[in-house]
Amino acid sequence: MRSAEPRTVQERARQALSDEFLRNAVKFTTERLRAGKQTASQEHGNWEEWRERARQIRLHTIAHLDYYLQEFVENARANGVQVHFADTAEEAAALTMDIAKQCGARSVVKSKSMVSEELHINQALQAGGVEAVETDLGEYIIQLANEPPSHIIIPAIHKNRYQIAELLSKEAGEELPPDTTALAGFVRRKLREKFLEADIGMTGCNFAIAESGSIVLFENEGNARMVTTVPRTQITLMGMERIIPTWDDLEVMATLLPRSATGQKLTVYMSGISGPRRAEDRDGPEQMHLIIVDNGRSLQLGDPHFQELLNCIRCGACLNACPVYRHIGGHAYGSTYSGPIGAVLKPALNKNVAEWDDIANASSLCGACYEACPVKIPLHDMLVYLRQRKVEQGVQSGEEKAGMKGFRYVMSSHKRYGRALRWGRVMQKLLLRDGVIKARIGPLKGWNQHRHTSPLPNKSFREGWQALERDIQRERTEMDEQIRERLHRHLNEREKGGVGDE
Amino acid sequence: MNEESRIKQDRFMQRIADRLGRPRLTEKPPHPHKGAPPDWRRFSLDREERIALFSENWQKAGGHVVRVPDLEAAKTYIAQKAKELGAYAIIRQNQPELNALDWQQALPEAEIVVWHSEQQKDLLRYAAGADIGITMAEYGIAYTGSLVCTSSGNQGRSVSLLPAVVMAILPAERIATRMGEVLAHFDGRPRAQFPAGIHFISGPSRSADIENDLTIGVHGPGVVFALIVG
Ligand code: SF4
Repeated sequence: MRSAEPRTVQERARQALSDEFLRNAVKFTTERLRAGKQTASQEHGNWEEWRERARQIRLHTIAHLDYYLQEFVENARANGVQVHFADTAEEAAALTMDIAKQCGARSVVKSKSMVSEELHINQALQAGGVEAVETDLGEYIIQLANEPPSHIIIPAIHKNRYQIAELLSKEAGEELPPDTTALAGFVRRKLREKFLEADIGMTGCNFAIAESGSIVLFENEGNARMVTTVPRTQITLMGMERIIPTWDDLEVMATLLPRSATGQKLTVYMSGISGPRRAEDRDGPEQMHLIIVDNGRSLQLGDPHFQELLNCIRCGACLNACPVYRHIGGHAYGSTYSGPIGAVLKPALNKNVAEWDDIANASSLCGACYEACPVKIPLHDMLVYLRQRKVEQGVQSGEEKAGMKGFRYVMSSHKRYGRALRWGRVMQKLLLRDGVIKARIGPLKGWNQHRHTSPLPNKSFREGWQALERDIQRERTEMDEQIRERLHRHLNEREKGGVGDE
Repeated sequence: MNEESRIKQDRFMQRIADRLGRPRLTEKPPHPHKGAPPDWRRFSLDREERIALFSENWQKAGGHVVRVPDLEAAKTYIAQKAKELGAYAIIRQNQPELNALDWQQALPEAEIVVWHSEQQKDLLRYAAGADIGITMAEYGIAYTGSLVCTSSGNQGRSVSLLPAVVMAILPAERIATRMGEVLAHFDGRPRAQFPAGIHFISGPSRSADIENDLTIGVHGPGVVFALIVG
């Protein structure tokens, strides 16, 4: 737990260095993933056709969600799964605790799950005296560091191997070399014990197949397989929108998700789990619980502008494509979900547009997220709607209102748009309102209730921001013609149809 | 808990229908966009192409491929590798193809435990400490370079997961071109025949979580062999 400001010169220097590392690491990683995605989508061919297919499947499922969710639940029950429903994060945590108590659990091993982050399950378990161990290598590292994940796919993107060696050495009780193989080897041994000791294995759920009541998990390390193979009891947390109708549909998702996330043809493991172990099986959970979570999701249903958020398959491609994310990393967003999807999802999940912040605003004018999204969620448009809602609800400052009017002006000319992309206005504002940023980069709003993060020094952030501005200028001077047209269309439609979101 | 859950379920579904602004759906809706695009379904490679593409993908992911003429040759190869690696503890599935081979004679020094319902040993712990796991793969997928293994009383999930090295035997005729061909085996399969675990495996366990540096064998096996028979 690190909460104090760095005191000595040495400490400050180290911190500044690590900030530089952070910036470089995020940039390097997102570039690597983005390039991987590009290659993988080109290699697959007909990418647009597949995106459209995936979008149609997701749209269809969400439009008939009551039917498919019901079908899924009935089949899961018939498979022997105990199904629970949670309206809120608190309810999901309470259900988890009930199950843990029922089976007298002392420890839980977990595979990576954004939903469990969203629900703060670890905190609930720990408060109840149950050890919760993250087993994904990156998650394990940041759990030891007591920090939130900074990327959907690579959660410890912001840590270098010296910092990791330091953390793991403490855990090992001996000095470990800052060598990837040695560090991973230690984690393998350490966590193997944890797997064998644990009473409960806890997973998220990438997809839930309605026709057979199965959950599907994608991963590379094998820890999700461990979690669903070794402990006696399994608890799976699932957002209520994770459904796809059939196994047939899984081919589309399995083609798009890994390629969009890391550029892989398929993750090393894709596992379909259909209930607890059968009577004659010798491994797999004896008891399987499924907690289906709403936590604000149903608010997006029936909302013409935000329903498509439920199509998200959590691939992280929009993060890697976003020039702002690439330069500042996930922590600056101050929520479980970062990047463009986080910028839209957070206020949408909370129905609280006041949360909408400057950093999210800064991601609103380029459209790279939509281009990258494998299910074609118009994130960019949503960012614009959110801004507009905020204007309507009078949350915005006068300056921002001017910005909104400015949007139309900007959109009306290609050249002007190019200029706006230099981010002058937004960036300057951010620089001036340094305090706000500091507050967000430091003990993060929303996060500091649950985790502790180390504050970044002001100066290095300011320098970093200037570098960001320069880089973005270099990178994207023009908007894609198609996006510009699409946005233009939307804007006109909205003007014709009047506003009125609620 | 169950009754409570039923009531909750009803409320959940009703809320969804309400938000969508219509009564609850009880009829299966037509699903016109089911599965992969139609053109893709026509994509089909011939046998040799499938073997080649599977091998290329499996190797690119960091796995090893060996092609052998028959099961006997697969056994000989595995035995030879086991000796080379100094493997002692071996676990294998209880599958007819494997049972037909004389493992004891091929590996007289090793301890070979067979996974099945009646096995006295603590199978999970044995597998966790095993050097090699041996399994037949049910299907292969050329396009993604994947093996598919399913669970049952005779086929532990642990066998392809816990040992340091996994040797999977894949008869050439089981390799499909596309994933969809394999998924079709599960689409609509009756519950009684549905395995609890279906595992698609596409290479050795890996992670790039430390400085983007690729590490092999993080939790699952670091060395995986696909022995293509035929
Ligand atoms: S919004 Fe699209 S690109 Fe972003 S995580 Fe979701 S599916 Fe991926």
